[in-house]
Amino acid sequence: MEKKSVSVTLNNVTKIFKDPKGKADVLAVDNADFVVEPGELVTLLGPSGCGKTTTLRMIGGFELPTSGKVYIGSDDVTMLPPNRRDTATMFQSYGLFPHMSVFDNVAYGLRLRKTEPDAIRKQVNEYLALVGLAGYGERAPGRLSGGQQQRVALARSLIVTPSVLLLDEPLSNLDALLREQMRVEIKRIQRSLGITAVYVTHDRVEAMSLSDRVIVMKDGKIRQIGAPDVIYEKPDSRFVAGFVGKAAFFPVAIGERKEGVWHCMLGDKVVHARSAAPDIVKNSEGVLMARPESLRLVDKGEGHLDGRVRMNVYLGHSLESYIQTAFGEVLVQVDDPNARTIRKEGEEVSIEFPPDRVRLLGKSEE
Amino acid sequence: MNKKRFVQFVIAAMVFIAADIWIYTSLMGSFTAYVEEKNYDEVALFVQTAPEEKSEYAKWLSQVEEIIPGSVAVYLDYRDHEFVPTVGMNAATDALWQQAGKSNAFRQALESSYYLETIKLRDQYQVRYDLLEPERGSTIPTDRTKVHIYFVPVIADNGYEALGTVMILVPSTGILGFTRLLRIFAVGAAIAFVAILWAVMLTRDPVTSFMVLGLMVIVLIFVAYPLLEALRLSFMKNGRFSLETWKLGLSPTYIVALWGSLKLGVATATASTIIGFMIAFLVERTAFKRKRLISILATMPVISPPFSLSLSIILLFGNNGLITTQLLKMKTFSIYGLGGLTVVQTISMFPIAFLTISGVLKQIDSTVEDASLDLSATRWQTFRSITLPLATPGILSAWMLVFTNSLADFANPQLLAGSLKVLSTEAYMIVTGRMNDLGGGAMLSFLLLLPTLTAFMVQRFWVARKSFVTVTGKPSTTLADLTSKQVRTVLSVVTYFVIGFIMLLYLTIVAGAFVKNWGIDYTFTLSNWKAVVDSWEAIKSTVLLSLIAAPTAGLLSMIAAMLIVRKNFPGKRFLEVLMMTPYAIPGTLVGISYIIAFNKPPLMLVGTAAIIVINYVIRELPVGLENGITALHQIDPSIEEAAHDLGADVPTVFRTIVLPLVRPAFISSMSYTFVRAMTAVSAIIFLTSAKWYHLTVKILSYSENIRFGLASVLCTVLIIIVLGVFGLMQLLVKDEKLTQKSIAMR
Repeated sequence: MEKKSVSVTLNNVTKIFKDPKGKADVLAVDNADFVVEPGELVTLLGPSGCGKTTTLRMIGGFELPTSGKVYIGSDDVTMLPPNRRDTATMFQSYGLFPHMSVFDNVAYGLRLRKTEPDAIRKQVNEYLALVGLAGYGERAPGRLSGGQQQRVALARSLIVTPSVLLLDEPLSNLDALLREQMRVEIKRIQRSLGITAVYVTHDRVEAMSLSDRVIVMKDGKIRQIGAPDVIYEKPDSRFVAGFVGKAAFFPVAIGERKEGVWHCMLGDKVVHARSAAPDIVKNSEGVLMARPESLRLVDKGEGHLDGRVRMNVYLGHSLESYIQTAFGEVLVQVDDPNARTIRKEGEEVSIEFPPDRVRLLGKSEE
Repeated sequence: MNKKRFVQFVIAAMVFIAADIWIYTSLMGSFTAYVEEKNYDEVALFVQTAPEEKSEYAKWLSQVEEIIPGSVAVYLDYRDHEFVPTVGMNAATDALWQQAGKSNAFRQALESSYYLETIKLRDQYQVRYDLLEPERGSTIPTDRTKVHIYFVPVIADNGYEALGTVMILVPSTGILGFTRLLRIFAVGAAIAFVAILWAVMLTRDPVTSFMVLGLMVIVLIFVAYPLLEALRLSFMKNGRFSLETWKLGLSPTYIVALWGSLKLGVATATASTIIGFMIAFLVERTAFKRKRLISILATMPVISPPFSLSLSIILLFGNNGLITTQLLKMKTFSIYGLGGLTVVQTISMFPIAFLTISGVLKQIDSTVEDASLDLSATRWQTFRSITLPLATPGILSAWMLVFTNSLADFANPQLLAGSLKVLSTEAYMIVTGRMNDLGGGAMLSFLLLLPTLTAFMVQRFWVARKSFVTVTGKPSTTLADLTSKQVRTVLSVVTYFVIGFIMLLYLTIVAGAFVKNWGIDYTFTLSNWKAVVDSWEAIKSTVLLSLIAAPTAGLLSMIAAMLIVRKNFPGKRFLEVLMMTPYAIPGTLVGISYIIAFNKPPLMLVGTAAIIVINYVIRELPVGLENGITALHQIDPSIEEAAHDLGADVPTVFRTIVLPLVRPAFISSMSYTFVRAMTAVSAIIFLTSAKWYHLTVKILSYSENIRFGLASVLCTVLIIIVLGVFGLMQLLVKDEKLTQKSIAMR
């Protein structure tokens, strides 16, 4: 089962889907350029139509890049068809062979490699056990539950010991509970095999919980690459900030930068914030981003932004307070809610921005 | 695209083309030199056979053409120190002499003749062969043609004096047939090499490229090429462009035939649609009991030979028919003509309408009818305002399909048309008749193509698009009974009458097989069955060729379907259209265009078994292709991608995944092709040979020669074989129900 991990490199890869009538060509992936390190699990995250699946399919060999190169390890595989690449893909709809039993499904790759029948039997049973389906070999795939089908697909992909595992929204057809289980399962197996993996999803929780690094995409462009906490805490654009989690945005006037901290004017109050965004210029307008759980409610006049509690939503481990302010409604999350921390509906309050917990972003909506 | 590889590709292609041209020119050069030397020897020998008497010179000179095809000889007498043309002059040589007789080259040549030297002029001369009357000989070119000119002196008995000289014109087109062939092969080799090189070097998936190339070659050679050749020939007369053939087509004789075809088509289509709708409505929209049985019996005529019903109609209602003559003692009744033909075609073709309309009716969700009834519409109002409008596209489709089939039908009119003239049989007659006019046959078939193609296009792109019916995948279980008892009784009576009539016709065929002499002597006999022995070879070859064609067409159509649904390649639409073309083309046109295109080099296929099999395959590809495309659209593409991803190349994916998954479509295409091949007439009748005969053609000729007993026997045998194989294949499909279900699952 052991195999040396390899990296995956995309070098200025662009994919344009040609319209047969030549009118509306679609730029699906625009100049994607990144490296997936050996043994790493990287997620491509973005809304539907952002080009994440196309990127994955180019790594798998199902689509040919319009320009640019794809490397697996140090080999240029750009022109190789899927059957000659050391990748294995798990499809959104699993793609199980309906006319074969579970055993034959899993054995398919080995049979193509002319493995001995005895070895096949041994390995198939081993991998079925790995995904928790020992004894299911004789069933038809149509008679398994969604989660079981999913595991068959996983075993079928892993048994050929690919260098790279590609997962195309593998959990989207499962119900919420099963999804959580499989998420852990996939991560466990990926870790234990040390296999390089690229995972496509539009679910931010999935991306955060699974990945070593996340690549956020929009309209075919890569918007940000980073570890989950970096993407969440230090987004460098309004789109990334909004896509990976709940966020409030406030327009500010950008002032001086001292020791890496920008001094911004929110109304007549000064707020300090750091920024990684490329488009920040002194004496211009910017946007302040804050996560609901980073904001604190204090008494009126004591914080940076005054407002009034319009509605409280109690969630058990936390409470969501919707505060009416001069910049519209702002969501503040109160953790470990208790009588001391909860502000009543209708109460006049003020929102405080802890300096390290807010980020300054460019003005652009994107 | 990779620049380096592209440069390599261009270089390799250039090298090959250069080599190809070199081989071509070398071969051409040496062959031309060989032919010229041979011609030189032959003209020299020819002149030595000069007769004693000058009066016989004309006859002698005309023999030169037998030695060198297309050549012309003129005798120039030497008198008064000058060579003067005396014998064998004609308009063409006269023009040449006027033009070049005084030139240096001619003067020198004539001087050489004076010194008894045989000489060939270095330059070639253009001669107006078109000035000659065409009867002069078939091998003479009919256009302006370049010739080599030889001057060979006729020597007097004393051995040192020239009596005169013979000027012989040898057309350089003599070797044209060979050069044409050589050119085709040279160009073909270059194209093939470049295409293969392109597939290997520049495409990511050479196997797919090869499959696409293969299919392209097949459809270009066996669909596009014969049709273009047929079209070209219809614009030719005596080797020149001419509208004469088409003028003939628009003459009153053939306009009457076109009119006859249209009348028959409209009558049959209308009658079939009405009957088809009534039965379909009874089966799909009422609480009628024996639905399954009626469906099976009503589709029987689809899988029996198209003219078997004509045969039994003749047995029952013909000039010596059992019912008309023996039972009813009618004297003047004649089944031959528009009426009888409409009846037979309707019985043979209403199943098409029945299947089309019941397919549409089945998909109408009966809740919309329930809703209408619920809103207190009467049943009649509901039928008129809901059911009928929803079914209209289906009804129009059915009409168009039957119309197309009726026009293309050849066998039934051949037996029953009587004095009615229709295009399909006229085309056959003009081709097989005394004039053997292939161009005329092609022209008439194209004339027939106009209405059928129009109907096909209207059906495909207009009616089909108007359809309101959406496929929900779940046929409604409840059935609103839209009919009152009286209406249902009427529908049932019509249905039972039609089914009963069909049964009667089939029983008649079987009975005919056991009767001594139908119409005269109805005693039981087995002697007709010697036809089976006589036609054993025909039976064998028919079954054999159909058995070869069925899997070939099945496989090809599934491969094509996979390429068209799953792959992207330049020219995909073009390939699809060409593959679908034979569906809209009358069999007569296919047959005629095949004998036009494949009765000459480089593809001399007429008379072989291959051309019959190819004809079956090409004609049945469209249906298989449609089946395959529909089946593949229902299969999740990631199933194939998964296999591909696990290491299977394209052929392996096809073999282990696609073929098993589309197996029902594959088997039904095979059985469809088999049935159609076994019962084919219209195209096959042009392509059969002494060695490869077809059973239907034999039955047709027995029927035409009033050997009804023998025809009935062969017809019975044919129906048994077809039903047997068809049933067997249906069993194979039924086995697959399990697979079908699991394909739908995700």
